Amino acid sequence: MLQLERVSHAYGDIVSLRDVSLDLEPGEILCLLGPSGCGKTTLLRIIAGLETDYDGAVIFDREDIGAVPVHRRGFGLMFQDFALFPHLATADNIAYGLKRLGFNREEIGEKVQRLLQRVGLEGFDKRDVASLSGGQKQRVALARSLAPNPRLLMLDEPLGSLDAQLRDQLALELRQIIKSAGLSAIYVTHDHREAYAVADRIAVMNIGSVRQHGSPRQVYRRPACAFVARFLGLHNVFTTGDGRLTSLLGHAGDGSRGTGSTILIHPSGIRLESGRTDDTTPTEVTLETAVFRGESYDLTATTDFGPRLSFSVRELPVNVGEKLNVYILPDAIIPLED
Amino acid sequence: MRRRARELWIIVFLLPLAFLGIFYVYPLLSIFDVSLRPGGLVDLSAFVRLLSSDYYIGTLLFTVYQAALSTAVTLLLATPCAFVFARYQFRGKSLLLSLATLPFVLPTVVVALAFATLLGKNGLLNDLLMALYSLEYQPIQLERSLAMIIIAHVFYNIAVALRIMTSYWSSLGSSVEEAARCLGADELSLWRDIRLPLIRPAMLSAGLLVFIFSFTSFGVILILGGIRFATLEVQIYYQAVNMFNLPLAAALSLVQILSMLFMMMIYTSTQKKLQLALASSASVAKRPRRALERLCLGICVALIAILLFSPLLALVMRSVLVAGQLDFANFASLAEKSRGSLLFIAPIEAVFNSLRFALITMFTALCLGLIASYMIERRGRLSRLLDPLFMLPLATSAVTLGFGFIIALDEPPLNLRASWLIIPVSHTLVALPFVIRSVLPSLRAIPPSLREAAQTLGAKPIDTLLTIDLPLLGRGIAVGAVFAFTVSMGEFGASLFVAQRESVTIPVVIYRLLGDPGFASYRQSLAMSVILMLVCACGFVIIERLRIAGVGEF
Repeated sequence: MLQLERVSHAYGDIVSLRDVSLDLEPGEILCLLGPSGCGKTTLLRIIAGLETDYDGAVIFDREDIGAVPVHRRGFGLMFQDFALFPHLATADNIAYGLKRLGFNREEIGEKVQRLLQRVGLEGFDKRDVASLSGGQKQRVALARSLAPNPRLLMLDEPLGSLDAQLRDQLALELRQIIKSAGLSAIYVTHDHREAYAVADRIAVMNIGSVRQHGSPRQVYRRPACAFVARFLGLHNVFTTGDGRLTSLLGHAGDGSRGTGSTILIHPSGIRLESGRTDDTTPTEVTLETAVFRGESYDLTATTDFGPRLSFSVRELPVNVGEKLNVYILPDAIIPLED
Repeated sequence: MRRRARELWIIVFLLPLAFLGIFYVYPLLSIFDVSLRPGGLVDLSAFVRLLSSDYYIGTLLFTVYQAALSTAVTLLLATPCAFVFARYQFRGKSLLLSLATLPFVLPTVVVALAFATLLGKNGLLNDLLMALYSLEYQPIQLERSLAMIIIAHVFYNIAVALRIMTSYWSSLGSSVEEAARCLGADELSLWRDIRLPLIRPAMLSAGLLVFIFSFTSFGVILILGGIRFATLEVQIYYQAVNMFNLPLAAALSLVQILSMLFMMMIYTSTQKKLQLALASSASVAKRPRRALERLCLGICVALIAILLFSPLLALVMRSVLVAGQLDFANFASLAEKSRGSLLFIAPIEAVFNSLRFALITMFTALCLGLIASYMIERRGRLSRLLDPLFMLPLATSAVTLGFGFIIALDEPPLNLRASWLIIPVSHTLVALPFVIRSVLPSLRAIPPSLREAAQTLGAKPIDTLLTIDLPLLGRGIAVGAVFAFTVSMGEFGASLFVAQRESVTIPVVIYRLLGDPGFASYRQSLAMSVILMLVCACGFVIIERLRIAGVGEF
């Protein structure tokens, strides 16, 4: 439905997007995930038509929409700072796009009521938007962008300004609302947990280009490069070719890989017991730190020969500073692109 | 010992209050007294005359009318310019915006004369058009017209409106507008639904300020309009000085004071709203890309530049060009009193007078202003009252102040009327709010912990003041000092009342010279205006260079 073809963009001399190609299926939620300054917001603004100076093509329903002005695109955009109209009451904010479409008063009133209900703000019609809390503003902004029934909904860090607790809960709610409205959506965030909760598909971006895209599970299980792995909180990234690493991997590692290549040891594949069918040999490590996370402990452990491993366990096997044996499953070793 | 030091501090703190009481409150009360009890008994006949006379009602209506017209024209020009300046980045933008505030420090007599040299009957523009199209008559007939007054008021006020609206517009950020565009708003609905409603508080605030300035405009109307275009302010002056009808002048002053009070109250309430909205994020101005954007930007820049510089340029050209040749004879002639002049001294002596008064004003206004700032800064119930109290002279028209001085300070023990001291005193009163507004932000920016740290390191209160406060206040004090100096140099309304024979200042001399017959006096007034303009422009440059964010903003 939406295709981006080799989209590039620069602010003066600073390149913000380099040959980005992506596509979006109808009814799909695509998440653009990346650190701040990676170009994800710029990409969103290009799709919305707010940024008109770019190379490449933005194609919607097989049509290049580069020349279509913002207000004719019929895309919804939810802003990071919500951008609520400060001089309009809550209901008038939501009604704004409907008025532009020429609906009559009754239709608008009815639609606004239904939207207020859907985002859980019944009875807020007359409220001054300045008096709303952060979470309420976020809901009004969502209702406003949903109101004209957009062909595509875009959300720019919609939960960025809210506190962490609220964020987890609202991310799920957002997904349900978007799905129940049957919309296609692009969702920008820098928080991978939020992305897992909302997205059907994730595109991880860095320095103006897409480094990997796939389902949340694919991206987490098999990150394509060191950047993606680290950005998703997977820290066991090592460079091979070092004898010490080879001995760490033991039988698990395929020593055939050339020197100087990069691998990830996925923390989910580091166990305290050997699997039933595997004949992996244990590696002796020293427990360095242990952070209690409620359901589990996050551990770091050092090996005698250098690299530090991070992984999680349910129960703390030994005290900090003591030695323990870990097993590295063969499929936990993932080669990364350079 | 301790107790004596404390008593000394109280006396020091009382100084600014005493100054305000004697030289502001007392003269104002005298005006009330003269207008309401002319012969010692309550007598409202002056008011009855005022309100039953079509002539004075006409004066009041004209005052409102010209102020409203000036405000409308100013906003009409400033709103699109402010939008363009907030939206687009271009080379020299900050310079232009800062230069646009130059009129703020230019004395009214200089501006009035500058417009006369540009648009007057024998003005530069008429000469130019006549030479260009070989005309026999002057095509521009603006002398002694309302249009001329309005143009000069727009010159004065456009920067104020531009500054308020540009900074407000930039602070609104672009995302609200982008949100509206995503929701289907075209250019027309953007203006109608978003831009104009959003800028309205700033427009209202700027408009009120322009209205207040135009309402109390004196020098411009006196010189460019004359008695035919008398506003309240001009009428007070005529009644007091030419007709010597003190009760009527006092009644007019009372009307003026009450109107000002009313308008300042509304203005203050709009200011609060403005500050609330200004808390939002800053936006980024873009470079203009499309031809249409460039064209709009070009028109706005040209408009502001022409409005600002053409009258000043005309003034300078008229003063240094004699028969098409560069000639400083006009300046040389300042040393002698021209024949038939009503002046008691040679114009050049007024320059020395002005410099002397400005230095005295600078010193007294700084001392009193610093003490007053500390009083306001001490936070507490009292300080909340003190801040607006010390701002009151700013909200009182110069003519009212001058008039109050001559009716209040003419008998012992305060018989200052014949003394030249009355001039720096009146100037100090006008300059005090400027000094306080310059010093207070720097004072508030000093964290209390700095002083506490100094004290724990063994500094006595006076050491703390000298080693911590004063160095940190340096810039604020310097800005305040230059403000006081420039304000004193250019002050016209009050000086016209209180300056006597030998103690006249530059603006007063310029006005008197314009009233003299003969070309020699006119040429002297041009030269004097250029000198005054240069002094004030220097002051302006220093203020702009020293100004840190938030210091000296009004």
